[in-house]
This record gives sequence, structure tokens and C-alpha cells, in this order.
Amino acid sequence: MTKGVSSVVSESPSLDPDVRLMLQVREGDETSFSVLVQKHRNAVVHFLHRMVQEQAVAEELAQEVFFRVYRSRESYEATAKFTTWMFRIATRLALNWLRDEKRERAQERLDEAPRAKVGADELPVRQIADQHPTTEERMLYNARLREVRDAVAALPDKQRAAVLMHKYGEMEYSQIATVLECSESAVKSLLFRAYETLRRRLAHMAREGAE
Amino acid sequence: MTCPSRRGDTTLLLDYAFGRLARRQAALVAQHASECIDCAAALLEYSSVSDALDLWEAPPVSTQFNRRLWDRIERAAPAPWYLRAAEWFRLRSLKPAVPVAAAALVFAAVFFFDHNVRMANRPATVGVSAVEADQAERTLDDLQLISQFDAAVDPPRPARRL
Repeated sequence: MTKGVSSVVSESPSLDPDVRLMLQVREGDETSFSVLVQKHRNAVVHFLHRMVQEQAVAEELAQEVFFRVYRSRESYEATAKFTTWMFRIATRLALNWLRDEKRERAQERLDEAPRAKVGADELPVRQIADQHPTTEERMLYNARLREVRDAVAALPDKQRAAVLMHKYGEMEYSQIATVLECSESAVKSLLFRAYETLRRRLAHMAREGAE
Repeated sequence: MTCPSRRGDTTLLLDYAFGRLARRQAALVAQHASECIDCAAALLEYSSVSDALDLWEAPPVSTQFNRRLWDRIERAAPAPWYLRAAEWFRLRSLKPAVPVAAAALVFAAVFFFDHNVRMANRPATVGVSAVEADQAERTLDDLQLISQFDAAVDPPRPARRL
């Protein structure tokens, strides 16, 4: 807990413009809430999309995140950076969803009912710089993307959350630690293990790229 | 600079590979990597992981996202008291009680209105008779007073002896 307090203090929430917006939301200013949603919705949805790997679910969970933020506006206290608090909600929701999903999948396996795999075959078509990629290029890209997604999906949930916040959210270690409710050194350890796993799983991609 | 690989400090190498170091610190790491095979190899691998992860772009957020959110917020907002009261009745299936209560209210209103009208139109007989009784009582008192006065002024004569 001491760690949590120190990390929270070091984040200087009073300087965070989002905190100021949230304090205005607490006073009943709905425009400030719209500004916050507009500013952070992409980050939240993208984070959740990479966590759960289903866009519809990611958007539903993101709705829940912002709904909870709005609902708790009256009791909001500026004890941490706004994004830290928001990602804490998002991470909890994602981890809960993944836990329930795993339970469901286990049940389905027990029932021997094959479930259509969602995700890998429903990849969004990436907007590649080249306006007209050849079929071969597209297939190669999709194959690589599938490998990346599978590699990330195979990480333990907490490692995955840490990687996504570190890589895509560009969050500080202290922020990630607050979100995951662990120490900064634990976050570094999580990230090291996660990137080591990814490095092993994706090593051939680097070799192919070098050839 | 102490070798991060030998120190077991991979965070510095990761931060470099993921472009999270300040320019001065990044220059120090680059300088060290140019002389250290282990660190150079680690940097290459972490950079390739970072590049691979860059392939993964999340799809755009639905254009309906904000509207759906506000709809949800509005649905969750507490309704005005009269709607909540209506909901309370609806939930408790008290529909039959509503006309009964309304009829009782109408009956009570009619009763009080009728009572007030009657009170207003009633002739002031009670008041008049009260005045008459008062006057009669006062007259009787006066008569009694006069007779007492007469008796005092003109006492009865003693009976003549025969």
C-alpha cells in the first residue's frame, strides 16, 4: 500500500488536465465529460480490443468503463492521474471478461461443442500505406498479424495487460503498477517475461524480415 | 556505462528498443551497444518484437459509440418522482386500486362541498331563537326585580284585628 501511495503522489494528479475536467464533471458539467470521452475513447477501445480480441465486446466494455466513470463522478477524488484510474477500471473489466470467457470455453470443451473461433479469421483489413497491396502481400500481412495476435493472446492476462499499456498506451511503469495494483519492480518483471515470450514466439518474423 | 546485459537490467534495453528513452540516455545506450555484442543482439530482438507489435492496428471505434453511451446514461438516470410513483403502482399491479382511490377522492370532495353549501345556505334560526330566549330571560329578570322593588317600597299591611 505504501508503494501505491507514493506512486499516486508522484503522478501529481493536480497537474493533470483530465483531473480538472473530471472535477468539473463532478460539479455537473456534462460537456467536460464529453471532452473526456472524445479524448480517451480510442485508447480505451483499442486497449480493450487487444485484450479481448473482439471489437464488439471491446466497445461494450469501453461503454461500461465510461459509464462507471460518469456514475462515480460525485464521489470522484483526484488521488491519481485520470488515465490511471480509467485504465484500472478498463483492466478490471477486461480481466473479468477473460476469466468468464475462459470458464465458458472450458465448459464448452467439456460439452464437446465446437465453438467458432472468433478473432483470427475476422481480422480488420489493415490500411497499408500501399493503396493496392497484392494478394500475396495481403496474405503475408494477415498471416503475420495473426501470429502477433496469437502470441499476445497466449500471454497470461496480467502480462498481456502490462504489454498493451506499455507498448500501445505508452504508460509509465508507475502508472501500470497502479493499474495492476502491484509494485513497479513487479511490472518490470512482468514486462520482461512477456517480451521474452514474444521474442521467442516472433523470432522467425524478424529472421524473415532480415532475409 | 555499465553493461545492462551483465547487470541483468533489461528495462533499459527494452526502453531503448521501444523508443521510451530520452535522447541523451538513448545515445548512451546506442554507444554502448555499438561495443557490446550481447546488448546489440538483445536490442535487435526487442526492436523486432516492437516492430511486430506495430503491425497490430486496432479497428476504428464505432461512430455510434458516443450516442450509445449517452443513451445508456440517460436510461440509468433517476426518473422524476411522478414517473417513479407510476412505476411503483405498475410494478405492484395496483391498477384496480387507482380508480377506487380516485372514486373515494371524488366522493370526499363532493361530501365536503355539499356540507359547506348547506352550512352557508342554512337560515339563521338558531341565532334568532337564541336572541329571543335571552330577551325573555332578561324580561323575567326585570319583572322579578320590579316586584322586589315594589315589595320594598310598599310593604304589605298587617291584617286588621276584629
